[in-house]
Amino acid sequence: MTEFLELSHIRKEFGSFVALHDVSLGVHQGELICFLGPSGCGKTTLLRIVAGLEVQTSGTIVQAGRDITRLPPMKRDYGIVFQSYALFPNLSIAENVAYGLVNRRMPRPEREARVKELLALVGLPDSADKFPAQLSGGQQQRIAIARAIATSPGLLLLDEPLSALDARVRVRLRGEIRSLQQRLGITTILVTHDQEEALSMADRIVVMNQGSIDQIGTPSEVYRNPRTPFVADFVGKTNLLPATRVGDNRVQVGAQQFECEVSGALADGSGLSVFFRPEDVQVRGVNGSTPNSADAVIEKVEFLGAYSRVAFRLPGIDQVLNADLSENDMSWFRVKPGDTMRVAIPPDRVRVFGAA
Amino acid sequence: MSAVLQATRLKVHWTDRIGNVLLVAAGVLLAIFLLAPMVAILAKSIEDKGGVFVGFANFTEYFRTPALAKSIWNSIWVSTLVTAITIPLAFTFAYALTRSCMRFKALLRNIALVPILAPSLLAAISFIFWFGNQGLLKSWLFGGQIYGAPGIVISMVFATFPHALMILVTALSLTDARLYEAADALGTSSARKFWTITLPGAKYGIISAWMVVFTYALSDFGIPKVIGGNFNMLATDIFKLVIGQQDFPKGAVVAIILLVPVAVTYVVDSYVQKRQSALLTARSVPYVPKPSPAYDWAMTAFCWTIAIVLLAVLGMAIYGSFVKLWPYNFSLVLDHYRLGLVDAGVIVSWFNSVKMAFWCATLGAAFIFLTAYLLEKTRGIDPFRPFVRLMAVLPMGVPGMVLGLGYIFFFVPEGNPLHFVYGSMAILVICTTVHYYTSSHLTALTALKQIDNEFEAVSASLRVPFWRTFFKVTVPVCMPAMLDISRYLFVNAMTTVSAVVFLYSPKTTLASVAIVNLDEAGDIGAAAAMATLVVATSAVVCLVYYVLQLWLDRRTQAWRA
Repeated sequence: MTEFLELSHIRKEFGSFVALHDVSLGVHQGELICFLGPSGCGKTTLLRIVAGLEVQTSGTIVQAGRDITRLPPMKRDYGIVFQSYALFPNLSIAENVAYGLVNRRMPRPEREARVKELLALVGLPDSADKFPAQLSGGQQQRIAIARAIATSPGLLLLDEPLSALDARVRVRLRGEIRSLQQRLGITTILVTHDQEEALSMADRIVVMNQGSIDQIGTPSEVYRNPRTPFVADFVGKTNLLPATRVGDNRVQVGAQQFECEVSGALADGSGLSVFFRPEDVQVRGVNGSTPNSADAVIEKVEFLGAYSRVAFRLPGIDQVLNADLSENDMSWFRVKPGDTMRVAIPPDRVRVFGAA
Repeated sequence: MSAVLQATRLKVHWTDRIGNVLLVAAGVLLAIFLLAPMVAILAKSIEDKGGVFVGFANFTEYFRTPALAKSIWNSIWVSTLVTAITIPLAFTFAYALTRSCMRFKALLRNIALVPILAPSLLAAISFIFWFGNQGLLKSWLFGGQIYGAPGIVISMVFATFPHALMILVTALSLTDARLYEAADALGTSSARKFWTITLPGAKYGIISAWMVVFTYALSDFGIPKVIGGNFNMLATDIFKLVIGQQDFPKGAVVAIILLVPVAVTYVVDSYVQKRQSALLTARSVPYVPKPSPAYDWAMTAFCWTIAIVLLAVLGMAIYGSFVKLWPYNFSLVLDHYRLGLVDAGVIVSWFNSVKMAFWCATLGAAFIFLTAYLLEKTRGIDPFRPFVRLMAVLPMGVPGMVLGLGYIFFFVPEGNPLHFVYGSMAILVICTTVHYYTSSHLTALTALKQIDNEFEAVSASLRVPFWRTFFKVTVPVCMPAMLDISRYLFVNAMTTVSAVVFLYSPKTTLASVAIVNLDEAGDIGAAAAMATLVVATSAVVCLVYYVLQLWLDRRTQAWRA
């Protein structure tokens, strides 16, 4: 199957610093793909290379069957939305949205109809005559999206579009952008450092780390089956412990042994690490015979609303571990610092990584 | 095995190509009108009068001429003294404006900035009226002379005061109020706060103001010419050598000597500027002074004393321009304007000045802004950009006398295909624009940097050529800065003497040069009249810009946040 956008062996150097090492990636027609990673991982650089705003040192890009490797931005086919919105402050909302249409010599009535349609699409039908400064951040961002898709580009690039907004607006806009994208069926690349945003919006996530792709997968794949400790740690909260393999499906962590699935490909011996998520720690129906159970000493309880994060220690492990317990569990067990309680980590929820 | 990779390069879109061509054109123009004249000076300094290479012979000869070598010492000590007087005065004034509850701050500030509107010569003329041979207060000098170093120093203090004040007000406004709150919470004494917070915070501003004043004093030509008597300085030496004795190589030598200290201060200043911008990234809380009656009164008394002195200097020049026959007949008449300027035909030079200032304020400002835009916001030809950037900041380090001299050396030879601009209005406009290029460029750059950097990227993604975004967005958004640049160029073009004194022709005499010539001819009343006319013109033009700005604010208030 040919991909809508095919990046092959993209390498980018800034002087002696290598921002991207040999990145290859295919983007399917119509999907929303998310470049996720910490700042400096190269995700924005990669997006800007797709846009032609940066030039890769080597590698090729093919979009819709056309080699765009060396095309300047004006010859490519995309709309772009920046974190700063980059709306033209002195032009009205309608003029902003029509900015790209005017240049295509679209007749005025047609243009006005298109602007109206777009403003309705982003849910701001009455803002045509206002100026950007008169709109809220979230509204400005929606106008920026309307402007980017006005000319019906084949590809929509979103560079941290929600980072400048406050938390509440951000969550609402996530859903709006996603449904708009699905309705239009426009192939979209979203760059973000916010894993929650990536998990909730993307068809597929590209997790990037230090200029390389660590994993490409659907949100649940990335969350459930992280391929590297970095992905496990970056996407969602996690407990990560150094371990030694001590038999089939058994690893030793400090003085404790864990039962888990260990891929045959992993060598025996030390240098492994195990990880499990805080929400996978069980406290209900756990007794002495439950696999992977132990008596935990509660160190600290942090109330976070719907759930609490409980820091605990296991005997023989010199590391504080975290468990996310629901309010029900918390009140049922009356968890408080200094208590001891039996906890278990189901074997199918424990993952093992090879030497980093 | 290592393969040499050819880095990928994007094809250049034809619209971007146009941007690149324009930037190269701007760079070439700057090379012709800034770099080439500078090179011409260097070349001339190592030739004899006949154009034969003589190495450093001109320099050794120069230093063997005691009268000339003494000018170096004169220039240095006078400039140092001017700086040592101006900076504390301006600092105290700026401190009062920013850190006291003194009343009428806006009025005092505007009075203090008035000297900017006047040619530097005005102060010299005024001090002649006050303390000259026939001055009103000559007795105050106890038999001393105003002509020479004393007159030069006080005139220069008057002329440089507003320049230092502007820098210091900015520097003192920048200090973070939270530092003072923290100090107060720790029970710190006022004196300790001043030494540990205020001064370090304003340090770079003080250094910068120091440099500006020193450079100004070192390279000003008008003041020593009018009130200097027999006291020689480098700037007057150049004039005498070149215009009086036609000794071009020796003039070139003085120009190079003049470049040295200016270049040093310039390098220090640009270093300081860099450090300062690094300090400014933090978001700070503006300082709000608290009332303190005794201190506020002391500051008020100080500022009004300065303001009254400044007004007295300005006022005396204006008064002197109306007095019928100084010091015999003090009746107020328009004779100097009517007979001295209009009937004598000197008024033409005022028209020329206005014409030149107008072209600087329009074409010059547009060129500077466009070049800054191309430099900051377009893509491509990256290796060429540092050159244009250098050309844009270089003029700050070139005194007007030196620039003017370079123009003579470069454009006067018949062999130069651009010889025809010599003696035209165009060369005056170009030279003045180049002379005041750097501050204007920096103003444009600051405004451009405040615009979202992604506008050009968005436009390209919408396939809109850059010039459309330039005219539809960049220019309207930067209009206030463009007006600032335009006004700055107008006022400076009206008052400048130093560069153009070499370049005017009988058809393009200028007001500021006319003041020098009228004074030299002994017609100090007419000189005062012309100086007054220049101040009045600049003041009116500033008002026009002010009204334009108000109109613009009203028109754009819908979208300016």
